[in-house]
Amino acid sequence: MARRVFVLFLIAAFAFPVIGVFAGGAAEEEAIVLQFPTFWVGTDSKAVPVEELVSEFNQMHEGEIRVQIEPTPDTDGYRQTINTRLAAGDLPDLFIFQPDPTTMQYYEAEDVLMDFADELQDGWGDRFQGSQMEAATVDGMVKSIPYEIGVTPIWYNTRLFDQAGIDEFPRTFGEFWEAAEALKDAGITPTSQMTGGANAWTSMLWYSHIIGSIGGPDAWDRPLDHPQYEQAAEILLQLYSDGNTTGDAVGGDADVSGSHYLAQRTAIFSNGPWYIGRVAGDAPEVHQATQLAPAPAVEGGEHGHQVTFALSNLAAAHTDDPARREAVVKFMQWMTEPDNVAMITEEAGSLFAINYEIDPSIDPLLSEFVRVQNEAPFTLTDMERAFPVAVVQEFGGAIEAMVAGGASPAEFVEILKDAARD
Amino acid sequence: MTLHKNWKGITLFLIPVGVMYFTFFIYPLGYVFVLSTMSWSGFGPMEFVGLHNFRRLVGMTSFRLGIRNNLIWALSLGFIQVGLAAVVAMILARKPPFWRSLRTVYFLPTVISQVAIAMLWYTIYRENFGLLNTVLRNFGFDHLAMNWLGNFYTALPAVIAQQLFYIGYFMIIILAGVMSIPKSLYESAEIDGATVLQQEFYITMPMVRDIAVVAMTLAMAFGIRHFEATFLLTGGGPAHRTSTLGILLHRNLHAANYGRANAIAAVLIVVGALIITLVRRLLSTRSAVEDVKQ
Repeated sequence: MARRVFVLFLIAAFAFPVIGVFAGGAAEEEAIVLQFPTFWVGTDSKAVPVEELVSEFNQMHEGEIRVQIEPTPDTDGYRQTINTRLAAGDLPDLFIFQPDPTTMQYYEAEDVLMDFADELQDGWGDRFQGSQMEAATVDGMVKSIPYEIGVTPIWYNTRLFDQAGIDEFPRTFGEFWEAAEALKDAGITPTSQMTGGANAWTSMLWYSHIIGSIGGPDAWDRPLDHPQYEQAAEILLQLYSDGNTTGDAVGGDADVSGSHYLAQRTAIFSNGPWYIGRVAGDAPEVHQATQLAPAPAVEGGEHGHQVTFALSNLAAAHTDDPARREAVVKFMQWMTEPDNVAMITEEAGSLFAINYEIDPSIDPLLSEFVRVQNEAPFTLTDMERAFPVAVVQEFGGAIEAMVAGGASPAEFVEILKDAARD
Repeated sequence: MTLHKNWKGITLFLIPVGVMYFTFFIYPLGYVFVLSTMSWSGFGPMEFVGLHNFRRLVGMTSFRLGIRNNLIWALSLGFIQVGLAAVVAMILARKPPFWRSLRTVYFLPTVISQVAIAMLWYTIYRENFGLLNTVLRNFGFDHLAMNWLGNFYTALPAVIAQQLFYIGYFMIIILAGVMSIPKSLYESAEIDGATVLQQEFYITMPMVRDIAVVAMTLAMAFGIRHFEATFLLTGGGPAHRTSTLGILLHRNLHAANYGRANAIAAVLIVVGALIITLVRRLLSTRSAVEDVKQ
């Protein structure tokens, strides 16, 4: 008897933990686990807010959905891995999709990327900026959700403007040249420009703004034969002439262009929100005095638009499992909630393709970025994303040919056209 | 022809090096020429385009300027830099006071990174607060102060000039040659009443001729493949006026235009080989040492 009791005891002793493990495992299996490899980890400015959002999402959906971050801090490596996995059709559940001509090709591939078009039509799509959603849509398919974007408005130093007796940023180029004269009379060089670097960044942004004013939201759809390119080049040439920029703009790189603005040698500049930290740290008085504006309009052209570009979209692997699909959509909706992206903006300084507002007391300049972005009647991408790399590489040299070599604006366009061949 | 008695051993020793040389030099070199006839973005299949990449290059201003600038670089380094190095070597070989320290001083820049040197010269050339313009302005030559690296006419000379001063490497090579010339030759010349200049002209120069040709060949090879300083100082600008084939090659690689990039590399190899062969043929004669020995 005692022996039988002992055997029963032993069986019970082994059975309980095993039952417990299986029971626990079953509960665990009920939760849908979504793998999310991301480079928003480690020292990335978005690492902490993204981790907080993921953690909060997991708590809200405990036992149902669990998003698991896979840290991949090497952004270049991440991009290569995703491109390879896109080609192989073997994608992680959730991932950062960097839209470019290569990755956008996979919109056409069947059963590779999840299409969110139906869910977005159910009201979710209303929270996104129209132009950004349009850029992420191909033939009615939205296989990546527009997320982090770059916005590059015109920066101007109000203190230097006051010194020159200018009340507000000019709305037209007619007013702009008058303001430039007033600034020069006050001993201030009007604009920062540059032809160096890989893409003549500052001047390329100016050119993009001007093209937007001439051609509207679809300006980049026009071929290089269109007169808008020459007209914009004439204005760009004027920006480089008559002391409207610094002497070292020809050949100067982003450091030259930025440092003139930081040192208050120039009053007008253009760049994205990632430069706020540099201005706040190196030139606090410039940070305080800086306000943002849309570029001046050409005569009879558009005004108020901004030059923006997608930096990172969110995407997911295609799945035929409705529960898994629902889990992915819930996570995407969570990550794109205006309050949540506002939190990331406030903590990391990044901007998003979503209509939202932030607390202006956190950083007035950051708040300005959100304002100009929300106020823009339309946005268009920058030249770098509108043309092949060869054209962008030639852009700085084409300005140099115009400014230092005496080429005409028409010849400037010819240089770009030549680079665009094959 | 008879085989060397140790041919098996010799072959055994040569095989590893031969395999490595073929794998890492001959094969990639051949592949450069193959890729130069292709259109390829790095993804997907290659498309054979024959000589299209070369025809396209010939029509590009940037390519023509790149070839011209490469030639200027090769000739400047080969003749001016090596010439300066030879003069300094001849002076140091006469062992003036502090000649050992001077030799070290001249050689020192050779071991410093090209990047650091280019950055140093950038601070000299820059328009605002650059040393050169500051000096010019302080001496009342305001009208000469300019954007040295952004001007069509001064950019290339400015980039080349910063390189010409660094003669240490060639100076050491030539100095070794000058130091090995028998002293008796100079003593005899002195007894015959030859001046120092005459001694240098009629003894030193002929005796180090072959070494100088080697130094010139090396300098021209450096000139042909020049990249770093131009890339850092001007990026090839303004409007390709300082561009070299190396810069163009880099740009095309960056644009994922691998076919054209390899076509540039093929041209670079051919032009380099031609120039160096030509220079060696023009300058190489029978060794002066052999003449003396006879």
